[in-house]
Amino acid sequence: MVPIVKISNLDKYFGRLHVLKNVSLEVPEREVLCLIGRSGSGKSTLLRCINFLEEPSHGSIEVAGIIVEGGEKGARHRQLVHDVRLKTGMVFQEFNLFPHMTVLENVIEGPVTVKGMERKHAVEIAEKNLDSVGMLFKKDEYPMRLSGGQKQRVAIARALTMEPKVMLFDEPTSALDPELIGEVMNVMKKIAYDGMTMIVVTHEMGFAKDVADRVIVMAEGELIEDSKPEELFSNPKDPRTKALIDRYRSNENAPQ
Amino acid sequence: MSLFSNKQDAPKTQAELLYEAQLRKERHFKANVALSWLMLVFILVFLFSGQNLQIGSWTFKTIEVDTEFILNEIDFIALGLGETLRISVLSIMLAMALALLAALGRLSTFPPIYALSTFYVSLIRGTPLYLQIFFFFLALPQLGIILTGTVAGVLALGLNYGAYMSEVFRAGLSSVGKGQREAAMSLGMTPGQTMRRIVLPQALRFAIPPMGNDFISMTKDSALVSATGFVHELMWRSVKVGRAQFHNLEALIMAALFYWALTIVLSSIQSRLETYLSKGDR
Repeated sequence: MVPIVKISNLDKYFGRLHVLKNVSLEVPEREVLCLIGRSGSGKSTLLRCINFLEEPSHGSIEVAGIIVEGGEKGARHRQLVHDVRLKTGMVFQEFNLFPHMTVLENVIEGPVTVKGMERKHAVEIAEKNLDSVGMLFKKDEYPMRLSGGQKQRVAIARALTMEPKVMLFDEPTSALDPELIGEVMNVMKKIAYDGMTMIVVTHEMGFAKDVADRVIVMAEGELIEDSKPEELFSNPKDPRTKALIDRYRSNENAPQ
Repeated sequence: MSLFSNKQDAPKTQAELLYEAQLRKERHFKANVALSWLMLVFILVFLFSGQNLQIGSWTFKTIEVDTEFILNEIDFIALGLGETLRISVLSIMLAMALALLAALGRLSTFPPIYALSTFYVSLIRGTPLYLQIFFFFLALPQLGIILTGTVAGVLALGLNYGAYMSEVFRAGLSSVGKGQREAAMSLGMTPGQTMRRIVLPQALRFAIPPMGNDFISMTKDSALVSATGFVHELMWRSVKVGRAQFHNLEALIMAALFYWALTIVLSSIQSRLETYLSKGDR
């Protein structure tokens, strides 16, 4: 199967800090991949390199057939980055909805401004996606009036309305109150079952266990484990993975 | 019917009583402030009433103003209000454009643009507004550039306020979080689209209240333009009639009252605008 995302020999430096060390990774179409690891392991940076919110220092990124070499400059490079961004949708930890626009305006902003889509057509797609995340009833509200979970669901609809090939989630539930995590997780599950390719950076081991097709563990800028969730949780190979999973287990069993 | 009366008869809770007491206190304070203002205005008017006040063996003589002069010349001075407003509006528009450019220049990573922006702000803030007005009006003709008093005044005020207001715009631009730009970029927006559609609207909302303050102080600084002698705004008119008839006291009092009234009106518009914006969708 042809991978829809292919990362080859990626390096990323922040100043003298080597945060991604020669990372290579292929993600086939329709796969749900979870990236887990302690904070500072490089998992968010890796995700942000895929749509060039972070420019990789070396190596290449391929998304849906578009190949971009990291660390280059110039008009051609910018065009390729733009093309990759059109193929990827991103959901942020802090939602990053546009506060001066209503929910519906947030969602149609990309198609109308970037793709030049007719407003009427964009509204149709936007309303369909808002409906599927259960937020159509708030389409004329401003983001300020929504709960965290509602904001994140709108952010997911906004990314989906660009009709991307791959969805990138950067700790989508980390800024939420515990009781609001479920509604966002359910929306993500639904998108996964609809066949979207998803790369999810998360601390939610439950999601990794139940929904992911594959889990990659990162530590110190490297991929230290790459396996099916059931294998990972029953038989972790690396001691660092074992520590991560033990901590999750002890939290899960702790009296609430 | 009975429902309503029951509700009214119900004993009030402690919280309701406390809340009502606080409201009463606030109303009381506001009423007292208004009353004190009224008294201060009365004292001010009395000071200029030309009365003789006898207290025991003491006689106070308050300031006497020539009411006939005031009635004769009030129309002439009032006509300056339009010119004062016109200069202020034109200048604030120029200032806003310059301030925005200077603020964007300050964010530039291209050294000459960054330098140009800081150079402009430094030069303008480092010299007096009065000098700048004269420079445009008196110094430029030596180079063959002859400007009318109004044009020179608007250019000087606009350049001057633009330099100060660039800080306001800069604060506005930096109040828009990095996440907003990232979200826009992840949707595929170009830097230009991100600026126009996402960053600027939010920055402007942030900058409007302080810009209102600048506009109010500009209406008063526009009086400096009268020094060119060719702009017939409030200050010029009051000085002209005051000097000619040796009634500077009355003429300047009239101009002062016009400026004051203008400021009060503009301030109230400004505070309404601020409430409206803060209620918005932030």
